[in-house]
Amino acid sequence: MLDTRVAQSAIDHAIALGADFAEVFVERNKVNNIATLSNQVRDVASGIDFGVGVRVVYGAKVLYGYTNSTEADELKRIVSQLAAKDRRDATVATQAFDFRTAADIHGARRILSRDAEVRDKVGYLLDADRAARAASNLVSQTQGACGQREQAVEIFNSEGLHIRDTRHYIRTSFQVVASNGSEQATGRRNDGGLQGWEIVETLDPAECGAEAARQALVNLSAKPCPSGRMPVVIGNGFGGVIFHEACGHLLETTSVAKKASVFHDRLGEMIANPVVNAVDDGTLAREWGSINIDDEGMSTERTQLIKNGRLVNFLADRVGAAQTSLPRTGSGRRQSYRFAPASRMRNTFIEPGTASFDDMIRSIDRGIYASHMGGGSVQPGTGEFNFAVTEGYYVEGGRIRHPVKAATLISTGPDVLKRISMVGSDFALATGMCGSISGLVPTTVGQATMKVDDILVGGNA
Amino acid sequence: MVAATIEADARRVLDKVVASGAEGDLIVEAESSLSLSAHAGELEEHKVKSTRVYGVRVVKDDRAGIAYSEAADADALESMVEQALINASFARVDPTERIATGDTALATDDAVLCPADATPVEAKIDAALYLERELTARDKVRNVPHNGVQDVTAERHVFATTGRTAYSRSRVCSAFAYALLSDGVKDALEGVQWHARSFEEIDTDWIVDETYQRCLAMLHGEAIPSRHYDVLFDFERQAELFAAFRDMYSAKTARDGINPMRDKLGERIAVDKLTIRDAPLEQDGLGYALFDDEGLLAATTTLVCGGVLQTLVHNSATASYFGVSNTGNAARSPRSALGVGLHQLEVAPGDADEPSLTRGEYLEIVDLAGLHSGCNPVSGDFSFGAAGFLCRDGERICPVRNITVAGNFYEMLNKIAAIGDIQHWNPERSALMSRIRFADVAISG
Repeated sequence: MLDTRVAQSAIDHAIALGADFAEVFVERNKVNNIATLSNQVRDVASGIDFGVGVRVVYGAKVLYGYTNSTEADELKRIVSQLAAKDRRDATVATQAFDFRTAADIHGARRILSRDAEVRDKVGYLLDADRAARAASNLVSQTQGACGQREQAVEIFNSEGLHIRDTRHYIRTSFQVVASNGSEQATGRRNDGGLQGWEIVETLDPAECGAEAARQALVNLSAKPCPSGRMPVVIGNGFGGVIFHEACGHLLETTSVAKKASVFHDRLGEMIANPVVNAVDDGTLAREWGSINIDDEGMSTERTQLIKNGRLVNFLADRVGAAQTSLPRTGSGRRQSYRFAPASRMRNTFIEPGTASFDDMIRSIDRGIYASHMGGGSVQPGTGEFNFAVTEGYYVEGGRIRHPVKAATLISTGPDVLKRISMVGSDFALATGMCGSISGLVPTTVGQATMKVDDILVGGNA
Repeated sequence: MVAATIEADARRVLDKVVASGAEGDLIVEAESSLSLSAHAGELEEHKVKSTRVYGVRVVKDDRAGIAYSEAADADALESMVEQALINASFARVDPTERIATGDTALATDDAVLCPADATPVEAKIDAALYLERELTARDKVRNVPHNGVQDVTAERHVFATTGRTAYSRSRVCSAFAYALLSDGVKDALEGVQWHARSFEEIDTDWIVDETYQRCLAMLHGEAIPSRHYDVLFDFERQAELFAAFRDMYSAKTARDGINPMRDKLGERIAVDKLTIRDAPLEQDGLGYALFDDEGLLAATTTLVCGGVLQTLVHNSATASYFGVSNTGNAARSPRSALGVGLHQLEVAPGDADEPSLTRGEYLEIVDLAGLHSGCNPVSGDFSFGAAGFLCRDGERICPVRNITVAGNFYEMLNKIAAIGDIQHWNPERSALMSRIRFADVAISG
């Protein structure tokens, strides 16, 4: 995508200005998005993002610039501007590039550059619409979306790295609105993976539409949620967002290196209930948060974060590793050429346990079963997090009573990890987008159903 | 030179659109920026960028399609038009979406929106270092994990096959700092931001002092008993709350059947004290807009007057669909389809002076968490993490943390106890707010 001589000249220029490390990241991102409304195609959009990011590192200082240009003079101009206050005599020598292509461990087949398959995708979304409307005459609207992209990256650095990789992403989402004339409620279903449109071979549009409609109808009948501290059973799959927010972000060296994470000095200590085992794994075949190599060119890996409640590892990118003396974990990720890489999660999950769902519910006198979770956020410095319940039920006397709406769970990472008392065996993964310092990246969250003994529930009852 | 290049590119793109038997418009966005942040007394991030993106919308046989490109060579732009035409062939037939007629030429005044600023890069670097250094030196400050200085200049061009053109160039400089303060037992992460047209307007001393005071004030916050309280949001949070439910004014979501306000035009949706406007031409705001994303003149629109919903906001397609006047609220990025959006939301002044507004007990909310995930614009339900102060008669009694605020926004509009008689911009200067006292809001602690 970029002439090797152009990349070489930019890197040579940075090293000649005294940088300790220099990197050129080239990205060509082909996108196709389809949106349906009810039983019609609303929009079809496509495009190409292309740009070059240049990272220059002096010690712990990261300087970053980017442009749409592939001209050597423009890249060198950016390097000169970045290094204006730090230039010095060269301290290291540039290594000659050693080209390789990243091993593809995921293997997409129905890829965007071959065929966008618009008609097939539209057919899938319209089938989901038919299934949703068949579920109830209270279904008033549906919105479907299918986004596919093909991200080709090429990375050069001053240590001789020259590597190429292509990532194929596919994601579908389907939302249903149900209305009883005076109130409206929504239900949603998302699917996705690091793969091509062959994902449709594992999806059933009728099930997708029916599931989104079911959730919308449940929420339409929901009562205001009680509030206060109480036990909560959190459903599997996207329920894993609790770990993502409560702990995962706090284990990224982006926060750890600045001592802006409550866990920065807790390596080797018990930080969770011993039933908790947590992993961040970029190698899972064709999963949404998987990669072949990270955005610094390192092969990805499986990283055990918590073992039997003990903190055993952090997620480290190149700069974070240098700042903390921790090993790199193939976790340097970025949204696009517009961002410098940072330590980020990939597929992050709590490993399954053995508790039964019925036992969890039976153990609750007054609490909530949060069967489906929405997004959330965390403040790494204090560990305070929040996340939304998109489908929840009131539990009383060991039995599920009725649906509840507008609930949020808030706590701190260290507190909630100690209060996870039961982990079930119905493990599942779910797709999401994670926003942080290096932009939005695809991440998977996951867990089996689990019980938190005490957490603050925000409701409107 | 750059403008001439963009105009030449636009001519080439639109000529191809016309040659294919379609009509169309093109949006070109160009941006250059500088971002700086500091850590441990050193510049931690220094980011410069220079980008341009082209986005074309074509309408052919009553079907619309879009495509975009960050590559600007002739082949890439030609391919972009071809792809948009292919995309249009899959779209629904929609006779309401056309390229709006007219050949006006609009342009903003660079002297107003993009004032000259001779501040050298070194001074901006010094400012970033100063924010971090001064805060770190304060008692109990552990570090300043989020801080920075930014200077962004953005150009926006709209060209249409009808001959209409529109151009704006604007600049926004900003600085912010969020410090982590700890006394060994409790910690607090708080901060502030400052946005302005020129770097010289930014007061870094105020940012340091205000950030530190906010951290100190919040350090020993505790949850309060769960019950219903009267609530006042600060200007920033109130603007965020209204922005989270901005789709209630959208004719696009109304047309799509997901806006609960669709059938409430002319009806009372709020207390009679409430008047809300979209005010694109308020030049003090950084969301000032002379034109919308179809290149049509923007204008002040009264959305709610005396609690009655007056209109939704429209682009040319939604206005045609509903058979009403276009309000000049088309919203489209080069990458997206035609939508609608607010320019600058304004809550008009009420009749409550400060003592009336802050009489008795109330909760002042200065932090909201989970705005992106904890609200549902379709139902109006929301539940957010929150922090603030329990207050009485305008005095802060104690800091409050680890609470949630929950309710239904559309119902809350009918539970407004008072509206302040003074307007303030939010820190981002994107919304002009009078403070609202909401009655009977569910707080969990």
